[in-house]
Amino acid sequence: MLCTHCNNKEATFHCKTVSNGKTTEMHLCSECAHELGFAEKYSDIFGDGMNVNSIINQFFALSGKKPAVDNMLKCPECGIDFKRFNSTGLLGCDKCYDVFAEAVETMMQRTQGAIVHNGKISGPDSEEIKKQNEISKLKSELQKAILEEKYEDAAKLRDSIKALEKGERADG
Amino acid sequence: MAKWYCGEGFQDDIVLSTRVRLARNLKGIPFPNCMSDEDAQKVISTVEDALSKLNYKFRLIRLSDITDVERQRLMEEHFISPQMLKEPAKKAVFLSEDEAVAIMINEEDHIRLQCIYAGEESEKAYNLISKIDDFLGETVQYAFHRKYGHLTACPTNVGTGMRLSFMLHLPALCMARMADNLFAAVGKLGVTVRGMYGEGTKSSGYVFQISNQTTLGKSETELAQNVTDVVNQIIAKEREVRRRIAKDKGVSLEDKIMRSYGIMKYAKKISTEELTGLLSNVRFGASLGIIENVSASTLNEIMVVTRPAHIMETGTETGEERDVKRAEVIKTLLNKKEE
Ligand SMILES: [Zn+2]
Ligand SMILES: [Zn+2]
Repeated sequence: MLCTHCNNKEATFHCKTVSNGKTTEMHLCSECAHELGFAEKYSDIFGDGMNVNSIINQFFALSGKKPAVDNMLKCPECGIDFKRFNSTGLLGCDKCYDVFAEAVETMMQRTQGAIVHNGKISGPDSEEIKKQNEISKLKSELQKAILEEKYEDAAKLRDSIKALEKGERADG
Repeated sequence: MAKWYCGEGFQDDIVLSTRVRLARNLKGIPFPNCMSDEDAQKVISTVEDALSKLNYKFRLIRLSDITDVERQRLMEEHFISPQMLKEPAKKAVFLSEDEAVAIMINEEDHIRLQCIYAGEESEKAYNLISKIDDFLGETVQYAFHRKYGHLTACPTNVGTGMRLSFMLHLPALCMARMADNLFAAVGKLGVTVRGMYGEGTKSSGYVFQISNQTTLGKSETELAQNVTDVVNQIIAKEREVRRRIAKDKGVSLEDKIMRSYGIMKYAKKISTEELTGLLSNVRFGASLGIIENVSASTLNEIMVVTRPAHIMETGTETGEERDVKRAEVIKTLLNKKEE
């Protein structure tokens, strides 16, 4: 079998990745595998193996839903511009997430199927964040209770929310 | 405690290893792809300070302080990734005393905490890494976003920053040509399957990596549960086919396995490529009961300590010398465990 990249040499590197129900096959000669960085990436089969660049290029190039982002948009903190993010798939600093929020969220939606974190919370504001999350959860339950005309439940939920907002425990 | 590849684990006749990693970054410092040397040193010393307050002890290894072969060796043990070999001056790894935990500094993210065990040990691995993460999270300031969670250089790791991966040995499913269909099916369940394959590339050794595909939107427990469920289904299928093969195994399968075992025990020269195939056959044979007295941990140890850098450290120079040394190491380990 010939290398699918150069169509010239015998392919010695075969790799198959199944992700999201889509199978990607690669057949490369060792030169192309090295040149494209695959040999290194896949030789460490324990590694993460996400070929980030291809995920993103695929997304922004092929999705046709290219977000209307200004290529000149630049992070004031680290100096990375959208063009660089688009080509490397890497952001430069924590600020970038807000600067490129629109593109990042589109990409998250596509590769992660979500845009909101739902796991462990870290940092100095973690107690506050946990409280806020609990409050918004209770508020949506309250909404539901009202719609379903479960007024007793709604009253209880309202009390819990008030207690939380006042900074008390919502046990009662 | 012994290194991960010398230890035993649940279902270790199929699951070579469980690895969990958490990606973290420090607030206010550019990510590694954008950082200065000064930033890099700051990350190393911040983590060093924090870890020194922990009871669980770590040893700091700066990649610039060790030789190429030593770096390669750490990679062969899966304590560092290939990416760590670039720009060594910025890189470091903290290795726990028991060598169960390795914390890579300035890889794609500032901090990559990882824990690896033999066998299916996801709970044990996650609990340990999560404790260290809790401690670090209280001691240093992580880059954490209200909406997106833990921020990572690449948005495909954002949120939990967690990747749980299992290395599975699946010879029966492959021989029965069921692997492709199975992987295509489980690929829709939020897991990623990776493996090397191909005609002539026996070097894959029927080893596959299964990991969670996403890191955002679900809790660590949910993500871990999902990939563990999938892995258990694959293991069950593999066992089912193994039972079938064991029942009506012809003499040729037994012959193939015993020949491989014979080569491992008596050959004078063995290359890494050849060994991958031999290990796979012997692992399969041991699991089927065709070969007795060879444990999964012995085979794991052989798998790691016969890799090129490990052999090079014994002072071998040429490729042939290495193949000779490799055969000796294999023989010694097999005999040691049989006594
Ligand atoms: Zn080529
Ligand atoms: Zn930035």
